[in-house]
Amino acid sequence: MAKQFRKITVTVDNRQLQVDPGITILEAAEHNDIYIPTLCSHKDLTPYGGCRMCLVEVEGLRGLPTACTTPVEPDMIVRTRTAQIQQERKEVLQLILSEHTSSCLICTEKEECRKYLNTIRKAGVTTGCRYCSRDGTCELQEVCDYLELDEIGFPIFYRNLPVEREDPFYDRDYNICILCGRCIRVCQEVRSASVLAFKQRGRHTVVGPAFERTHLEAGCEFCGACVEVCPTGALAEKVAKWEGTAEREVESSCSLCGVGCQIRLQVSGERVISTLPADDPLVNRGQLCVKGRFALPELVHHYDRLMVPWRRKSGNPLEISLDEAVAIAARRIKAGRERMGIIVSSNCTNEDFYVAQKFARVVTGTHHIDTTSRVFYGSGFNAYTGLLAGGKPLSTVRDADTILCIGLDARYGRSVVGVELRRAHRRGAGLITLHPRPHSLGVLADPWMQPETGQELTLLRRLVRLTGGKQAVGGKKVAGAEPLKVARQLSSARKPLILLGSEFYHYDNSEAIHKAVGKLADNVGAGIVALPPQSNLAGSLLMGSYPELLPGGKQVTNRLARSTFAREWGVDLPATAGRWNSYRLLKKHKLDLLYLIGEIPTEERPAADFLIYQHNYPPPQELAADLVFPTAACTEVMGSIVNGEGRLQSLRQAVSPPGKALPDWQILCLIAGKMGVAGFDFKDHTDIQTEIAALTGIEYFTNPSRQLLTIGGVGNFSQPVRNRRQKSGTGTDFPLTLTISFAEHTHRGFLLAQWVAGAERIFQEETVLIGPEDAGRHKLKTGDRVKVTGSGISGSWPVTVLPEIARSYLRLCLTHPRILEQNPQPVKIRKQ
Amino acid sequence: MSDFKQLRQQARRNWQELTNSKIPVIYLGSASCGIAAGAGEVLESVHQVLKKLGRKARILQVGCIGPCYLEPLLDVRLPGRPRISFANVTPQKVEQILKKLLVEGDPWQAQAVGHFDDGDSHRDHTGFLEGIEPFFDLPMLKPQVRVVLRNCGLIDPGELDHYLARDGYQGFRKALRLSPQKIIAEIATAGLRGRGGAGFPTHKKWDICRQQPGKEKYLICNADEGDPGAFMNRSLLEGDPHAMLEGMLIAARAIGATHGYIYIRAEYPLAIKRLRRAMTQMRKAGLLGSKIQGSSFSFNITIKEGAGAFVCGEETALIGSIEGQRGMPRSRPPFPAIAGLHGKPTIINNVETLGTLAWIMRNGAAAYQELGTSDCHGTKTFSLVGRVRRTGLIEVPLGMTLREIIFDVGGGTPKPFKAVQTGGPSGGCLSEEFLDTSVDYESLAAVGSIMGSGGLIVTDDDTCIVDLARYFLNFTQAESCGKCTPCRVGTRHLVEILDRIVAGQGMADDLIKLQKLGETIKRGSLCGLGQTAPNPVLTSLRYFRAEYLEHVKEQHCRAVVCNELIEYRVLPEKCTGCQRCVSVCPTGAITGPRSEPHNLDAEKCIKCRACYEICRFDAIAGDAIVIKSKQE
Repeated sequence: MAKQFRKITVTVDNRQLQVDPGITILEAAEHNDIYIPTLCSHKDLTPYGGCRMCLVEVEGLRGLPTACTTPVEPDMIVRTRTAQIQQERKEVLQLILSEHTSSCLICTEKEECRKYLNTIRKAGVTTGCRYCSRDGTCELQEVCDYLELDEIGFPIFYRNLPVEREDPFYDRDYNICILCGRCIRVCQEVRSASVLAFKQRGRHTVVGPAFERTHLEAGCEFCGACVEVCPTGALAEKVAKWEGTAEREVESSCSLCGVGCQIRLQVSGERVISTLPADDPLVNRGQLCVKGRFALPELVHHYDRLMVPWRRKSGNPLEISLDEAVAIAARRIKAGRERMGIIVSSNCTNEDFYVAQKFARVVTGTHHIDTTSRVFYGSGFNAYTGLLAGGKPLSTVRDADTILCIGLDARYGRSVVGVELRRAHRRGAGLITLHPRPHSLGVLADPWMQPETGQELTLLRRLVRLTGGKQAVGGKKVAGAEPLKVARQLSSARKPLILLGSEFYHYDNSEAIHKAVGKLADNVGAGIVALPPQSNLAGSLLMGSYPELLPGGKQVTNRLARSTFAREWGVDLPATAGRWNSYRLLKKHKLDLLYLIGEIPTEERPAADFLIYQHNYPPPQELAADLVFPTAACTEVMGSIVNGEGRLQSLRQAVSPPGKALPDWQILCLIAGKMGVAGFDFKDHTDIQTEIAALTGIEYFTNPSRQLLTIGGVGNFSQPVRNRRQKSGTGTDFPLTLTISFAEHTHRGFLLAQWVAGAERIFQEETVLIGPEDAGRHKLKTGDRVKVTGSGISGSWPVTVLPEIARSYLRLCLTHPRILEQNPQPVKIRKQ
Repeated sequence: MSDFKQLRQQARRNWQELTNSKIPVIYLGSASCGIAAGAGEVLESVHQVLKKLGRKARILQVGCIGPCYLEPLLDVRLPGRPRISFANVTPQKVEQILKKLLVEGDPWQAQAVGHFDDGDSHRDHTGFLEGIEPFFDLPMLKPQVRVVLRNCGLIDPGELDHYLARDGYQGFRKALRLSPQKIIAEIATAGLRGRGGAGFPTHKKWDICRQQPGKEKYLICNADEGDPGAFMNRSLLEGDPHAMLEGMLIAARAIGATHGYIYIRAEYPLAIKRLRRAMTQMRKAGLLGSKIQGSSFSFNITIKEGAGAFVCGEETALIGSIEGQRGMPRSRPPFPAIAGLHGKPTIINNVETLGTLAWIMRNGAAAYQELGTSDCHGTKTFSLVGRVRRTGLIEVPLGMTLREIIFDVGGGTPKPFKAVQTGGPSGGCLSEEFLDTSVDYESLAAVGSIMGSGGLIVTDDDTCIVDLARYFLNFTQAESCGKCTPCRVGTRHLVEILDRIVAGQGMADDLIKLQKLGETIKRGSLCGLGQTAPNPVLTSLRYFRAEYLEHVKEQHCRAVVCNELIEYRVLPEKCTGCQRCVSVCPTGAITGPRSEPHNLDAEKCIKCRACYEICRFDAIAGDAIVIKSKQE
């Protein structure tokens, strides 16, 4: 075998090179800093040979082979820049340019134009053609410069195609497309999505989804991989289109869901102009989903960002200085510390969590610190965190042989997982899905188990039974061959794996569902990958930002742990978690003071005399916040998060926070300092990390390693009053079944759709989804409003008619989680 | 083993029964070419006439025998008599023919074009056949040698028995007894070269594939015949599907293929139907499937219908298309023989190559070697079309000159010969001085053309060379897959320049541009389509430069074809004033009272040719409308 790896000698432009066998001439040249112009080749894609820019001369080979497709042979003699080759390339380049706008490529005024581009005049003068947003970063320009092309000997054929702007997130101008096919290849080879293809032939050849569908209809995930590889300005990100080239790049983690993709923030001045995937081997392997790829710049640079603190005076906001705000907060907290609660967002950093829970425990002397996850996951929170704690890393998908996806849709959110699943499917792994509705993996799944909405638990329990007993498989007669087949598939798998999506998180029986999933996994020896939508749910557990938990995941009731922290912090800690938690924000449990850190837990104002609100964005009117602090966004802080796998990852500051905004933890420290409480003099995030490491023994905190952490102490969260299952009102009264879910495409309590243009096109929240048949019966069309009445819900929402919703089923996604007594539930609707 | 013998004996008996039929047998040429010429109506008429006459006859729908200009061809075999052929049969003529033969027993030598002597009956037919030449002695057929087409038109393509009776599957049975190496050696001795156009030695490709490790190998029959005016493969598949299928078995055995594909365009429904039927028969007879003929050799075939993209005739694009991808060529290496369909070693052979194999195996390499020249052995089928008197499907030994093919076989051109386009849209346009070029791979390449798959388009003085080149370029341009720049954009520019020239707006440097751009496309393109697409322009520029120059400099089209350069005129001295032209003119460009010479308003004339046609063919018109170059 060693012989195979022996280097071979090739001669390129009279230079003897030692190269690996099997690579192409182009790769050999690139490894040795010999430039060969290319337009269609790309490091991540298979060789193509379409643009013909990399034509070279190889002794002994007929004609001019392309360097990108021809493998090196021992003693090959290659010439890359003879006069004939350059002439040939120029001819071909001219042909490309005869279909492409060329004013920015070959223009007699090019030199002058660049020199005087920044002229300041009042009158309109032509200072640089602004035809294409990629001017300056265009690969075509690079090749033109290299070949010193200064004229086009052919007439120009302008394709005159309309620029496509209908789909969200990126524009497509196929008039400047050079048909290099990179976008198509990345869509097929890397993303396995195959949304893009060449259409037509000859001069009419153009890129797009087949059969004249829009990208939305064709199943595009808007991952932006095609935009990234486009060598020209044909595909351009809407937001970053005219931002030019980034000045620097900052590696960070995406905090828009629990996958925790590694990203490269593209920064220009004090602006994050775009995000690109990092080539991270552990999590996302160079891929991103629509949120990570397109949402961040708009999210963190929205014009609505909070810049200064303010307080509410006779109903109106009044700007105040940071000192004043801190003073007010200190005064109010001092007065009401006994009856105060803190809600912290699951999107915050570990450092925020730690400081917040310490603030609650040290400053107020209670365990009144919580996130809204308890409400989000409802009765299933204990079971879910259990699955999370025992979860496997995402990388297990890569060598699993049978994968069961329960309630998982990976089209927009978690599309990085979808890519891994499609790759697994391509290499021959069995892919099974359990989902009541059409979902992105349905086409590949074999089988797709589609239970009736509300019957998922029955099906899961059947699977548990079939995989559990010795005689169950193949023995007793079971209704339906499919569960039996799946049970056999799972039982006989060598490396089975279960992925858990968010379809059933909000069911009233989610606890039983999660438990059944756990049991099923035990029965077949499968690992579970729980994919929480919250970016730092695991971090919130580890940092103890719950009444029941202390940092390190220790139980509050654990006397030893409690006394350790009490000693270190110099306070007495209550022996029990107390009765307060995020379920109790209603009138019945009125507080003196509620402190919201990057979170909006409810639609209405929670019951509290005084409301402190600390966020990136202004509070909604309904909240009627009394004191508001501006905080830094996720691209403006240093810190860490723990993703759904339990992997500790870094957030790195790319730009400064706007105005007076500060990181969440820093504001808390200022208030504690003002109150004269010791132990909050952290200078930066590393101080906090040192303290966490010292107190919890999680040593990785001071170490940049991204190892997996063990999430402990889960499963003892207090539950709301036992769900009363309502007598179902089937029959004529409530003919429809409504499934309610809570928005997961959110950031700090706000829907992404509120801040990111285009997000509302792909995420359907606060709208009743209805199938065409039911819509027809109720004479409804998209945009109409309906009143929905059921035993546990009543309200009015706009409707969206979707063909994939089955007859007599409705769906509704609410922004703010709430306690649901029955879900799915029978309802009736009336057009308004 | 004895099964096959039994099968063969049964087939022989059936064939004998046919040739010694007690009732008359009627053969009707019913390949696509015959059907296009009206064989369907003729068949209906035959049924009606038989009913009317109260006679019984066996009707066989046979494949194409070659001379398309004679279609529909109807042959009648009276009991104990040879088959007598009648050409250009119309439904009206059927009754006369059948009455004459069936009722009167008269061979009707005045109308008969030839007879087939299959030597099966020993009666003396001298009197009966007086004045009726053997069919294969017709001037078009006499110079031909039929190897691939030997059964076409003679047997019923739907009958396995007919094929077996004429030594079918003997070649394969011989191959089954030989080792793969021996088969390849035999083909190597025969010197068979790929008939798809490039002429790569078949055995070399096979041997590379055979030597590849791995059990999974594929054989693909390329029946994606896409050249305009080419129909060799279609005719063979329609007329004798087993000939190609037997070849596939031999090739599969030689390379060790386990599965075969026939990639055929969906525009060939009859050929697909015949293939499907033939494959069912093979399965029944134990010639296809697992453990063929009791041997260890197993082979299956799938028919894959292509959607009709010209580029899918290119090997790698074809493979992509079978894999379910867009038909787009990819760069080689790796060659398909090493990594082809699904990444496995794959051999792609043309229909004709495969159709030759059975003959070689049966008759031996030596017999094949005797055909053709010393370098290029064997025969080649051609579609002889265009401005030639006798159009049709022909098969000639390699090495015959173009002159022999066009003038002896084809009967020459109605007007003085101008050029011949060999190799379809990828080939070259050769002028009169090259008529003595021997038709073989090397000689044609030496004069800038190619053998191609076998299209021969003959033109005479009525054809404008620039227009012809433009026609081919328009075709390749529209069929370019769009992958590589020179082909996609370059051909578009060529068409654009040619469009200008035929519109009389050519510029002085256009010819240089055509030349330069053509060469760039040839050198720079990825696949065969692009690399050969400029050939029609480059060769016609080389051999017919004067005609290009006339277009560019004098705005003159000597063939009076290019619409912008010609005008329609009424010759007053000939015009009878019949008003026929006035009635057909769609724009009212022709005016004039009855019986007086008409006027033609050139401003209104859209050059639709309606008046010209009616003036030439109408009995009372005087041939008074002429088309002239504007410069005359």
